[in-house]
Amino acid sequence: MIYYACDIPEDLYYDIERDVWIRFDGDIATLGMTDVAQTRCGKFAAISFRNVGKRVAQGKTLATVESAKWVGPFPAPFSCEIVETNEDGFARNILLANKEPYTDGWLVKVRPTDLENERGHLVTGAEAAEKYKERIKELKVNCLRCID
Amino acid sequence: MSKKIRLLYMEGVSPLRSQTVYHAVGYAMKADTPNTIIMVSPNGPYVSIGYHQDIQKEVDLEYCAQHNLPVYRREVGGGAVFLDNGQLFTQWIFHKEDLPVSLEERFKLYIDPLVATYQELGINANLRPINDVHVNGKKIGGTGAAQMGIAEILVGSLMYTFDKKTMSQVLKVPSEKMRDKIFESLEAYMTTMTEQLGSTPDRVAVKDLYMKKVSEALGVEIYEGEWTAEEEAMAQEIDARFVSDEWLYQKGQLHQQGVKIHQDVHIVEAAFKAQGGLIRIIARLRDGRVDDATISGDFTLLPSFALGALEQSLRGVAATPETLKSKIEEAYYRLSIQSPGVTPADFTTAIMNAVTPPQAA
Repeated sequence: MIYYACDIPEDLYYDIERDVWIRFDGDIATLGMTDVAQTRCGKFAAISFRNVGKRVAQGKTLATVESAKWVGPFPAPFSCEIVETNEDGFARNILLANKEPYTDGWLVKVRPTDLENERGHLVTGAEAAEKYKERIKELKVNCLRCID
Repeated sequence: MSKKIRLLYMEGVSPLRSQTVYHAVGYAMKADTPNTIIMVSPNGPYVSIGYHQDIQKEVDLEYCAQHNLPVYRREVGGGAVFLDNGQLFTQWIFHKEDLPVSLEERFKLYIDPLVATYQELGINANLRPINDVHVNGKKIGGTGAAQMGIAEILVGSLMYTFDKKTMSQVLKVPSEKMRDKIFESLEAYMTTMTEQLGSTPDRVAVKDLYMKKVSEALGVEIYEGEWTAEEEAMAQEIDARFVSDEWLYQKGQLHQQGVKIHQDVHIVEAAFKAQGGLIRIIARLRDGRVDDATISGDFTLLPSFALGALEQSLRGVAATPETLKSKIEEAYYRLSIQSPGVTPADFTTAIMNAVTPPQAA
């Protein structure tokens, strides 16, 4: 779904309150910032990741993002252990998430540690699209991507 | 917003505490914590670096050690800055739902009372979007934003004075010429209340005026309060982290171009090895144009006055390869410049290397 220029792929899962997308693959989940989140954050200036192997509780910080306007956390949508970060990708191009938030611009890969009890708030498909429409209206956001 | 705001007024705390206090109130914030404004100034000078900066690349640590200047890494972004008692920091620690969703609107809400305070003092201050305060094209303070725990933070200052000389000394720069250019640019593009008014206004009166302007802008009552034992304990914890080598020397990877003077003005530096010698460029860029340029190196340029004339010809020129090359070629023709092994295209490349640094392989 594209709404006010914000792309919300319906094959992904979303933690809407935290503006995080999730792609499950076996027992691993790839996480990133949604189009809405990268737009609100603005062009990345820096990113730092928690170490691989670190266990992070739901809502706690997996990475810290700095843009020209703001510094803030990229939060865990559920408790997890970090298995991989996209540190090398962002070292090559700091604007990865501003250009391709759902593919090259992923932030971390994690292994959920209590998913059964912590996945109730995640949405996907048509439900995610509808809920994001509401959020985009509420935030009054028009999404923008970086070209270079 | 209907809730009352707590004011914590803390003039003359230690340099360390002037930074850790807003982190502490932020990280200690709970659902029932009041929105809080901290007005704080340090009792001594120090250097504050941005969250993702590499201290060893950005700060002249030898100079800081010689002059007993501590350096602290904040959890707000941006660049290194020299701070002292000449600034009264205005730090907002608010609940997310009590601030506008968009960062642009949030900065406007935060900056409007600063601007109103300056204006009532007779200073022609204005918001320079997104997050600078300007007086007739000069910056009188920048601002920053961050999220800490559940708190949304906005920080900035009311600037009584600013020590531009020391600011230019604490930065690690590739050459003394670059340092001179930074100082000269701070003189040209930064200002203070004392410069604008001819004398320093009474600090308590400024504090009261600012509180009045915040209260009017937000439509809420502000009461002077105390911080809690929990917040103070959090501050002690953060004090310890901020002085640890692990925190201070963590490797940063902030991608920034040169030294930012204000939103529209940057100092950049680069070198280019031409066939006839090395060309060094230090340029001040303003709104995408060359505001000022210094050219040096080990090449030969004749006649003797050509170097100054070439620098002069670059002022105000759009920082694009085509316009720069055209201006330089025009100066070459007009002044019959000779430069064995160095062409107008080489000077253009040197300047463009400063404007847009080449990507590392």
